[in-house]
Amino acid sequence: MGKLIGHAAMRIIPAVLVVVALGPIFWTVLGAFKELRDIVTPIPKLVFEPTIDNFVTILRNPTIRDGLLNSVVVVSATVLIGALLGIPAAHALARYARRWGDDIQFFVLSLRFMPPVAIAIPFIVIYLDLGIYDTLFGLVLVYLTTSVSTIIWLAVPAFESVPRDIEEAAAMEGCPPWEVFWRFSLPIAAPSLFGALVFTFVLVWNELLLALTLAAQNATLPVVAASITSLGKEVPWGVINAATVLLVLPPLVFIGLLMGLLNSMVRSGPK
Amino acid sequence: MANISCTDIVKAYGAHPVIDGLNLEIPDHQFVVFLGPSGCGKSTMLRMIAGLEDVTGGTIEISDEDVTTLPPGERDVAMVFQSYALYPHMSVADNITFGLRRQSVARDEIDRRLNHVAGLLGLEPFLDRKPKNLSGGQQQRVAMARAMIKTPKVFLFDEPLSNLDAKLREKLRTEIRKIHLSLKTTTIFVTHDQLEAMTIADSIVLMQSGRIEQIGTPDEIFERPASRFVADFIGTPAMNFLQAKISVDPEGLLATAGEIALRLSPEMFPSLKDGSDVELGLRPSRMDLCEPDATNALTGHVVLVENMGSEGQIITEMDGQEISFVTKEFRRLQPGQTVHFAIHPEHIHVFDPKTGKSLRSPDETL
Repeated sequence: MGKLIGHAAMRIIPAVLVVVALGPIFWTVLGAFKELRDIVTPIPKLVFEPTIDNFVTILRNPTIRDGLLNSVVVVSATVLIGALLGIPAAHALARYARRWGDDIQFFVLSLRFMPPVAIAIPFIVIYLDLGIYDTLFGLVLVYLTTSVSTIIWLAVPAFESVPRDIEEAAAMEGCPPWEVFWRFSLPIAAPSLFGALVFTFVLVWNELLLALTLAAQNATLPVVAASITSLGKEVPWGVINAATVLLVLPPLVFIGLLMGLLNSMVRSGPK
Repeated sequence: MANISCTDIVKAYGAHPVIDGLNLEIPDHQFVVFLGPSGCGKSTMLRMIAGLEDVTGGTIEISDEDVTTLPPGERDVAMVFQSYALYPHMSVADNITFGLRRQSVARDEIDRRLNHVAGLLGLEPFLDRKPKNLSGGQQQRVAMARAMIKTPKVFLFDEPLSNLDAKLREKLRTEIRKIHLSLKTTTIFVTHDQLEAMTIADSIVLMQSGRIEQIGTPDEIFERPASRFVADFIGTPAMNFLQAKISVDPEGLLATAGEIALRLSPEMFPSLKDGSDVELGLRPSRMDLCEPDATNALTGHVVLVENMGSEGQIITEMDGQEISFVTKEFRRLQPGQTVHFAIHPEHIHVFDPKTGKSLRSPDETL
């Protein structure tokens, strides 16, 4: 009997947790396809006529559209430049930095210790002086400090797991260090590096505080989405829901990719 | 084809030298094995010759060209790693031909050489596979093919067989030896397995703590170990060691250790004097059963009989010491029995107990 209850509990408790976790997301997705009158009814409606008006509104709305575009530009640039700077740095740290390697790695990580609020205000002043306040360039620049450090921190173990023998075998074939990096270390570490880039992408895509303080006209999507919620009583719930879905979609896709990759790596096993 | 000479090689990590003033000459075409316990510096030495490890002091020459500071790719040497170090993102064929493709060798020349080495090592069916889809032995062969296709001056093997099971190890050992007989490329092979070294080497360089203990043919190393360390390291079952005192009598030299008394050959050990303390080395495989009154007969109680198939190792106890010997007649022996066995004076090794050096006269021929 006790066993039976245990078995039941084993199934019920996770089910409840899943419902609790996914409930709001499910409701948001539903809301994105509802018209306003279906949303604000006193009795929640599960059956309704779906509409894509909310998405049309969003994509027609220049603020939101610009926000989306800004987000894509800023995040892509940040991840791309972060990878260009961070991945070679990580390889150098993993392979060549003997004496100061640990200190450098800790310093890089320590860039992330400071709460963003603490750097946001000085950055406003500096950016105003430099004339890069409220520019996409300024945003990319400030995001790079965090993305480079995240990429380095995640890529160092990726390169450390590349067998040293393979790099040495390549050196024996006459490859200079850059070629060893480009033709061997990089392709072999690629799956783990991809994870590092996806993680960085998600981190920057979701960033709100620095975007809020350092940009006004050139806002990114999280800022725009946040601003819609402060519209007062005339809240366009459907539009907010659609905006949220749009905001969540790219990280979700990337996380999906990441999980698939991790699973395939686990399945094929370490070789 | 090349000879290798290492002069006054020093390797230090920080202030601590792991190899301090090592000299070594390897003649052309030789198959040399660096043998020693782990941490003796044999792999470090190999990696310095390969160019993968910086040399702190001294010079390394390959065919009389100073390569001490050359990068590994410019030394014309090829190496086979313990882990095989195959490129996981390339097919077997690409793994083997990478070096040649990199040097922009003509495509048909590459194909010709690939077919040749693949045929030699039986790799034709696997050329399109990825390394992870091969067994350990096959991966090992790919690593060898990758080294051979470049026709380098020197082959370097860093414990290439130690990740394989015993049967496969033996098979590949023979193959490596055969390949050397046909190619005659100067080869250095690192191992900690003394049996592997004995079977494969033209010449063994036995190392300990960054020093060379002895250089010699497998026979020299086995029959005339220069030190107690060498004697102990080489040979299975391991040599018996006894602390003994020398006395000189009209019949010659006598070494006594408690009840044990052994005749030594005065010609082999001219430096021994009456009353010298020595350490005797008795190889189990050089002793066998004998009559109780035979020369150098030892009498002991059987403690254990170890069946090794065609022969057996008998561990006996005498005068508080354990001494083992090997005999084909082991099947009629039982623990607790008293046995008599003897060693010929020529096969007794005598070492200085302080320095560990062999006291055998260097003039005397094998």
